Amino acid sequence: MMAEARPARGPAIALAAVLFAGLAVLAAVAPEFVRTPDLSARYLLPWQSPPFGTDDRGIPLWEVAAQGSRIVLVPAMVAGALTAAAATLAGVARCAGWSWLDTGLQAVGELVGSLPRLVVVLVVALLIPPTWKSLLPIAVVWAFLAAPGAMDEAATTAGRLGGARFVEALKAHGFSAARILLYHVIVLNLRPVLVRQAAEVGMQVVFLEIALSYLAVSRNEPSFTHPDSGYSWATLLYQGYTAALGEPLWHAMALGVGLVAAVATLSRALRAAARAR
Amino acid sequence: MRPLVRWIAAVALPLAVPAVITGALWILPGDPAEIICPPGICTGREVLSARWGLDRGPWGFYTTWLGHAVTGDFGNSWRVAQGLPVRDLVLESLPATGQVVALAMVPLVLGMVASAAGWLPRRADGVWQFVGLIPSVILALGFAAVVQIQFGAASNEGLPALLRVVFAALVLGVADGALADAIVGTRSTFDEEFKQRYAQIATLRGESMLSNALPNVLPALVGQLRARVLAVVSGTVVVEVVLGVPGLGELLWSGTLLQDFGVVLAAAWAYALLSGALLLTQAMAEVAVATWVRAAPPVPERSP
Repeated sequence: MMAEARPARGPAIALAAVLFAGLAVLAAVAPEFVRTPDLSARYLLPWQSPPFGTDDRGIPLWEVAAQGSRIVLVPAMVAGALTAAAATLAGVARCAGWSWLDTGLQAVGELVGSLPRLVVVLVVALLIPPTWKSLLPIAVVWAFLAAPGAMDEAATTAGRLGGARFVEALKAHGFSAARILLYHVIVLNLRPVLVRQAAEVGMQVVFLEIALSYLAVSRNEPSFTHPDSGYSWATLLYQGYTAALGEPLWHAMALGVGLVAAVATLSRALRAAARAR
Repeated sequence: MRPLVRWIAAVALPLAVPAVITGALWILPGDPAEIICPPGICTGREVLSARWGLDRGPWGFYTTWLGHAVTGDFGNSWRVAQGLPVRDLVLESLPATGQVVALAMVPLVLGMVASAAGWLPRRADGVWQFVGLIPSVILALGFAAVVQIQFGAASNEGLPALLRVVFAALVLGVADGALADAIVGTRSTFDEEFKQRYAQIATLRGESMLSNALPNVLPALVGQLRARVLAVVSGTVVVEVVLGVPGLGELLWSGTLLQDFGVVLAAAWAYALLSGALLLTQAMAEVAVATWVRAAPPVPERSP
């Protein structure tokens, strides 16, 4: 049987690093407020107003893209880290033979995993005070809801390794419990699962922000993922939608879709970079 | 053990969702009555507090709301459709969501069946996975533009309305990796099972591996199917709003945006009931399969 061809990890790591650095730089240079609308400079194309042109009010699109990047970057990373932490706990519980924790996590996972995520997110969005208007609480809730799936996969992976018997076998070889759990179980065995789940949840948080902001923008209402002074990537997509209806804003659509594609590619690249040898 | 946990979770969900919301209302800073009925948005806070037991603490609110909810009384909407009973709004929105969810399951179930039967080549997996990378909001946007360009903004009846439902179902059945996960997930479940010794012996005996493995993988497949239904149901919120389908998701979004707490709580409870029903279905399927698999095979009588 021929071995399945796998993409090399080196290019995936390089691609992930470049894309992440690009988004981070964009977030870092984001202005606090976008420029005052200038109707004499509206609908400018990228070569008329580098690098991305302007929108229907003359606001440079790069400022909108940068603000959108700042809105999503930290919450997406926090959500990914929380999911990975929950998955690590489940994997370690399976390997350490803590059956009470293992059973408890399964029961909680069953209950939490049964909730429609977006419904819970909307209820949370309704309840959080307007002064806390940010993507972060929503991202944390999303991570909590996504955790059961990640925990289940991590526990299964650890179980496939041999669970508590694997740890006992390594202890017999003289390794300390801390080294076995931190290095052999988490770094060597669970790493692909943890990185994949974290990348997936991070990407989902970005798409969630776009979806929620888009729905608000399309109804001319303030979004609950960021302050009213900020602009989300959803604004670019909404302008792109108006392009389909006749407005000369195809460059906004291209930028919005390009940013979404960059996030999706980053997620895929991270998965490829962290896959098992 | 697992079916029992699911039964318990199914019963607990409709109780837990309003309990968590009640807990959050009292944990968050500020008066719960002001969170539910923000000043400047709704009036008659005292009447509302007395009606829903807000003045009797979290337990008073929880038991009052739940007591009314089981009789189908969710009060009246104060912003989405001012003065109309929330129950009527929920009931009016259910058929549209039901249609979208049922239609969205068609490509997913077909994908699972085709994958199990081996009708889909593995080489095509990349295609499904690439399509699955498209976020639902982007795909829905494209379809919304198509409908609007073809039929205009006020196209909410007849063929355009039907197209909106079909497109919404297509988005939920394909985007966000839905179809790719259905196909690849089903195939990998069978692949694992086909590695078992009994399945390989079945091949040597000239029997179908699929029919031998199916009873053993059914619980896993039912679990995957439940997860997909749940994802589709959850996704209706975004897709219905973008495509203008007047369903439960659209109602929930309107309630959230307009801070109509009564509508949001009722819609969330409807979703919790649906999730509970899905859990029960999965538990029953698991018990049925276990009973079927463990049933003693008929022993042929020996001829003397």
